[in-house]
Amino acid sequence: MSEPNRAFAFVLVLNGVLAISCGQAGEAGVDHEVTSLGSAEVTARLLEIPGEFPPNDLYDYAYVLKYRVEKVHRGKVLGEKILVAHYNPLKPRSSVQDEFSGLVGGNLKKFRTGDVHRMALEMPLDLLWMGGIFDKYFSQRGIRYWAIWTNLVKK
Amino acid sequence: MLGRLFIQTLFLLTFIPVSTVFAESSSNDPRVAQLAKEVRNKGSIMYSARTDSSDWDLFLIRPDGSNRRNITNTPDFHEMGGRFSPDGKRLLYRRLSKALKFHHLKWGVQGQLIIANSDGTDPVPIGDPDEYPWASWSPDGKQIACLEKTGIKIYDLTTKRKIREMGRKGIYQQLFWSPDGELFCGPANQYGEGWGVVRLNVATGAVNSVSDTRSCCTGDWFPDSAHVIYSYRPANQEVLDAGEMAQRAGQKLEHGWTQLWMADKEGKEQRLVYGEDGRHIYGGAISPDGKYVLFTRSHEEDLKVLGSAVDQLGAKKKGAPMALMRLSDAPTIGGESRALRKLHPNTKDGPVLHLPECWEPHWTYAEIAVNK
Repeated sequence: MSEPNRAFAFVLVLNGVLAISCGQAGEAGVDHEVTSLGSAEVTARLLEIPGEFPPNDLYDYAYVLKYRVEKVHRGKVLGEKILVAHYNPLKPRSSVQDEFSGLVGGNLKKFRTGDVHRMALEMPLDLLWMGGIFDKYFSQRGIRYWAIWTNLVKK
Repeated sequence: MLGRLFIQTLFLLTFIPVSTVFAESSSNDPRVAQLAKEVRNKGSIMYSARTDSSDWDLFLIRPDGSNRRNITNTPDFHEMGGRFSPDGKRLLYRRLSKALKFHHLKWGVQGQLIIANSDGTDPVPIGDPDEYPWASWSPDGKQIACLEKTGIKIYDLTTKRKIREMGRKGIYQQLFWSPDGELFCGPANQYGEGWGVVRLNVATGAVNSVSDTRSCCTGDWFPDSAHVIYSYRPANQEVLDAGEMAQRAGQKLEHGWTQLWMADKEGKEQRLVYGEDGRHIYGGAISPDGKYVLFTRSHEEDLKVLGSAVDQLGAKKKGAPMALMRLSDAPTIGGESRALRKLHPNTKDGPVLHLPECWEPHWTYAEIAVNK
């Protein structure tokens, strides 16, 4: 490798390291938080957004969304399709945390069906969020995971 | 002359029924004066309201609105969520530094639990800040039940010892212990797509929905422990004003208006108590004899839910206007409320006594002497 190419490669690597260490997830949605928070870490595709997110003018709430798991990076989740509760999904993840939410965040700006998210998850939901929950899948038994950190995986 | 008389008669025949149906009870309504006289000596109502110093204090009034007294007077603190003990001799509430803001959904977990005499004297902190969240009196006033993420915990007030712990079964705020001690109620997840009011059997842990499971909250017990009063916002109510009110309120057409409802503890009989299109009704509280109901109505001028107009709890306001009506007059509908009247054509439209702006009112028939 020539000297200029080596320098260019070094800059690329440095940028990657800086992006991760500064909390800016790369294209795979990797950052320090998503790889360390919660008991499980997955890359999963958002299958649908059932209904419409209600406004946040009166309530803070969690909204349950259905995902298809593409890869489990850490820990364990039950099943190929999982249900994940997101706190106040109308808000960008970078600014969603408040004094009642506990630690939540990520780089995802907007929830869109078909997008792929890298998420740090925890359970049981009852021990993590004590507030209103919209769960259009309430008749389906199974675990509701709490999304602590949600990054967009760029296609 | 006969023609004029005919027109006058026709006008009266047309106007009187309409004015009876649509008349909003006011201070000029003799029925309101009668209601005020009827309740005047029935104990005291306690509530939280913003003072001229911009902090929230606890106040007492006679149920007709007279004899208003500030019973905390703490310019450096907010006081919120006052509840009389079942014998009316003490009260519990949360106290929070004025530098912080009370959150309209989370006030039960904020600040410090205080127990005082019902006239506000001798306030004693119970535990440290953030401890004993959503505390609710036991029927004998010797214990409190608290709601935490990990479950419902019952504490002895003298020893502060935890007596019992049980799962919260999805209840997430505003836990209240029934007067007979057998049940809890509160808004809960897990019983539908949204949240509704449930009752939880203290002995067995069995739980059932009391209300619809879409946007029902702020449940509280009737003195018979057999009924619950709560707020319910039925979505997708018919729109007969081309969406004008919703537009003024800055809310979507399908959002609906929160109404006051009641149900039996099995949830089999659910019915409207009070509603008013354009206003959101919260803070339902029943008188100790079960004959009257208190509630709050969001302000008319901004048509906003309390807490959402400017910031939580309405920073520029002193609370939401309180109102009192007889339960025997339920259902009553306020204002023009064309869409709501179409849904409930047989409303009684009894008198509604308008009281000061407040937050979370509570009523005791115990006599309270205030010397402060």
